[in-house]
Amino acid sequence: MKRFLWFIFPIIFAITLWEVISQSGFLNSALFPSPYKVASALWSMIITGTIFSDIRDSLWRLFAGLFLGSLMGIFLGLLTGRVKFFASVFSPLIQLLRPLPAVAIIPLVIVWFGIDDGAKIFSISFAVFFPVWINAHVGAQQIPRAFLWSAKLLTRSTIKTFRNVIFPATLPFIIVGVRTGIAIGFVMVFVSELAGASSGLGYRISITHLAYRIDAMIAALIVLGALGATVDQLFVFFTNRFFTWLKFSSK
Amino acid sequence: MSHIQVKNLSVHYDDCCALNDVNFEAKKGEFVAIVGKSGSGKTTFLHALANFIPFSGQVTIPKTVGVVFQQYAVFPWFTASENIAFGLENYNSEKQQQIIQEHLKLAELEDKKDKYPGELSGGQVQRVALARSLAHNPEVLLMDEPYGALDAYTREKMQQWLLDVWMTCKKTIVFVTHNIEEAMFLADRVLVLSNKRFIKELKVPFARPRQEEVKFTPEFNELRKEILRSINSAV
Repeated sequence: MKRFLWFIFPIIFAITLWEVISQSGFLNSALFPSPYKVASALWSMIITGTIFSDIRDSLWRLFAGLFLGSLMGIFLGLLTGRVKFFASVFSPLIQLLRPLPAVAIIPLVIVWFGIDDGAKIFSISFAVFFPVWINAHVGAQQIPRAFLWSAKLLTRSTIKTFRNVIFPATLPFIIVGVRTGIAIGFVMVFVSELAGASSGLGYRISITHLAYRIDAMIAALIVLGALGATVDQLFVFFTNRFFTWLKFSSK
Repeated sequence: MSHIQVKNLSVHYDDCCALNDVNFEAKKGEFVAIVGKSGSGKTTFLHALANFIPFSGQVTIPKTVGVVFQQYAVFPWFTASENIAFGLENYNSEKQQQIIQEHLKLAELEDKKDKYPGELSGGQVQRVALARSLAHNPEVLLMDEPYGALDAYTREKMQQWLLDVWMTCKKTIVFVTHNIEEAMFLADRVLVLSNKRFIKELKVPFARPRQEEVKFTPEFNELRKEILRSINSAV
């Protein structure tokens, strides 16, 4: 209950402050609509169902991109972190591409893949890949020697060593990478839906902007923010559920 | 017939020589302890025996070796029984279960079998580590300051437990420690490592099975002084 209060109190405070400022008349209400107007814009999106189809489409793109990007990042990160051959082959290439702002590839991706979901999912997975890869790579490099030596003594199977020792030993790093990936993934969902999309939260924000519906725009932004926080917290919840040992491992 | 034989073993780290021309022997079923100051090369010697690091010279050691480390070796993502089960895939599931049960009993952790290492005490974790090594039935056990991180009370209990385990399994054990009393209480022979080589070898005359009381005898104290003197005498 106390935690819930700490969670809800700042939100109520922010909304109250916002209401007070917009009621005061200092600001142009067309540019700075009151919470009430934003809430009614959100309500109309809920009634018409547009917000749900936007959420559905954005989440599908996010999850598909997140899944593919993370999978590649984890797989390559463990290999480049642990196997010299892979490190020397892949690391220079990845390091060359890594400083590239992921949003900069969107025009190229549209040329290559068109404006379908495929293009958006590719852009998202491209952006998600790098933080996941670098975390998995560094994590795999920093596994205590005693884990690896124990594995060497106890099993001859390389696959078993990767699956049952190297992967779990790197997991805390991978989780950090994927959480960063989730945040970047949301940026990419938004940006990739600005151009060449007909649904999704990014698209909604973009067209409400064109229609000068600031209230609807803020409503969609709030949904996007809340969705990002929810996905992140759900990820943390499920990793803690699934990997119960994590909560003891810091001891 | 020696079970472990080391001739002219040298280990170099970059430009630094960690061990220089070391000779060593251990008989089957013997408990040998190695003492020395920090940085004297005790752990390096053990790592060379386990073939973890490159070395020059000749090391003859049985193929099946178990190693118990000071820490970070029991997998925190596996429960006590899963740790013991790790690497037992060559046995059928019935045999696996039997080995796991036997070793949980040996580690006195039957009621903690589903606990993660993070939920266990330091002593319990080290018992899992030894049980996991023994589950593979190694011919030689190398122990690298396994009780270095434990409090004095737990440490004494673990020493007694290790002696009990060793009396039943009679593995050849090479035990590295910086604790002289521990070395004398456990081992048949204590070797002093200093200046990158063994400088002294002392037989431990106390009868087995040993009890805590032996630590309070004048003979024990005399031997302790002798070992301490040889460690301190080295430049």
